Amino acid sequence: ELPDGGARPNAAQFKQLVVTALRELHGEVGAALPVDVLTYEEKTLSAILRVISSGLVKLWSALTLLGFYQNRRCAFRVLQTSPFLLALSGNSRELIL
Amino acid sequence: NILTVCFSVGYSAVALNHVIDFKEKKQEIIKPVSPSELFPSLPIVQGTSKRIKVLTRLTLIVSDPSHCNLLRSTSANIRLYDIIAVFPKTEKLFHIACTTLDVDLVCINVTEKLPFYFRRPPVNMAIDRGIYFELLYTPAIKDSTMRRYTISNAISLMQICKGKNVVISSAAERPLELRGPYDVANLGLLFGLSESEAKAAVSTNCRATMLHGETRKSACGVVYTVKKPRKVEEEETAVPACKKAKTQA
Repeated sequence: ELPDGGARPNAAQFKQLVVTALRELHGEVGAALPVDVLTYEEKTLSAILRVISSGLVKLWSALTLLGFYQNRRCAFRVLQTSPFLLALSGNSRELIL
Repeated sequence: NILTVCFSVGYSAVALNHVIDFKEKKQEIIKPVSPSELFPSLPIVQGTSKRIKVLTRLTLIVSDPSHCNLLRSTSANIRLYDIIAVFPKTEKLFHIACTTLDVDLVCINVTEKLPFYFRRPPVNMAIDRGIYFELLYTPAIKDSTMRRYTISNAISLMQICKGKNVVISSAAERPLELRGPYDVANLGLLFGLSESEAKAAVSTNCRATMLHGETRKSACGVVYTVKKPRKVEEEETAVPACKKAKTQA
C-alpha cells in the first residue's frame, strides 16, 4: 500500500523493493534468499511471491517491517500464505463448514 | 481513520491509548474519549458476526516512585479506562510495577537500550499475578536503529520470561503503520517466541489483558460463560449399549 500521489513501482522495481527489505532486516544472507515474483499488478499494487518454505519467516518479517519506499511511507499487507497456489483463490478464514 | 484500516485488516478489538508523562509539572487525568462519540455504529468484524470492540487505555510513564501514588488515589477518571499500563524507567520501578502495582500491562521500552537488566524474581511474580509485558512494533517500521533495540530488548525479555505473558501491540499513529494480526504474529517468531506463543501474543494474551482490566474494575473476579449445545441424550444411549456388550461377552 502506498499513499496517494507518486509513481507506482513496476515489476522490476517491486522485486528490487523486496530484496531491499530482506537486506535491511537480514543482511546479505537474507537478500540472497531466492524469491520469485509470480504475478504483479501495478494497478492494485498486489503480487504473488514464491519462496522456499524455510525462508518464509524471514521474507514475511522483512516485508512486515519495511517502512519506506523512495522516502515515501508504505505498508505491506500479506493477504494470504499457503503452500498451494490453488488455495490462494479462496479465503479459508471465512470458510463455513 | 486508523480505526477503519484496523477493521478492514481483521482485528476484533482495538484499544485507544492515552499517554501521560510525569515529567511535566501538572498532569491531570483526562476523561477518556468514549468510543461511541467516534463512531455512530461500529462495523462488523470480518468473518464473524460480532461488532468490533473499542476500548480505552491509559499509559503512565513513571520515572519516580511518587508518580505511582496516582494509581492508588481515588481519582474517578482512572476508573473509566479499561486497561491501565505502566512504563517503568528504572529497575526499582520495574520491580514495584511487577509486584505491587495494580496495572494490567507493563510496557517494555523498545526505543533505547534498556538501562536495567531483567531479573527473574519480579518477572515470575508478574506472571503469577497475571500481568502481561508489552512490546511495541511500530518503531521497528520507522527507524533501523530502533529496529535493533526492539529486537535486542525483546530477545532479552524472552530469555527471562520464557515467552509467557507477552503481548505485541502497535503504537500506530498513522494508518500505514498498522500491520495485520498474522504479520504481527510472525514478528513474534523473530523475537524468539515459538509459533503457538507468537499467535497467543496477538490473540489470547490480549483477551486475557482485557479480562484482567475488567477484573480490576470489579470487586473479585470475572467469569465468562459460553452456551454449550446439549449432549446429554447421546450419553444416555451410549451406556446401555456398553452394558449389552458386557453381558454378551
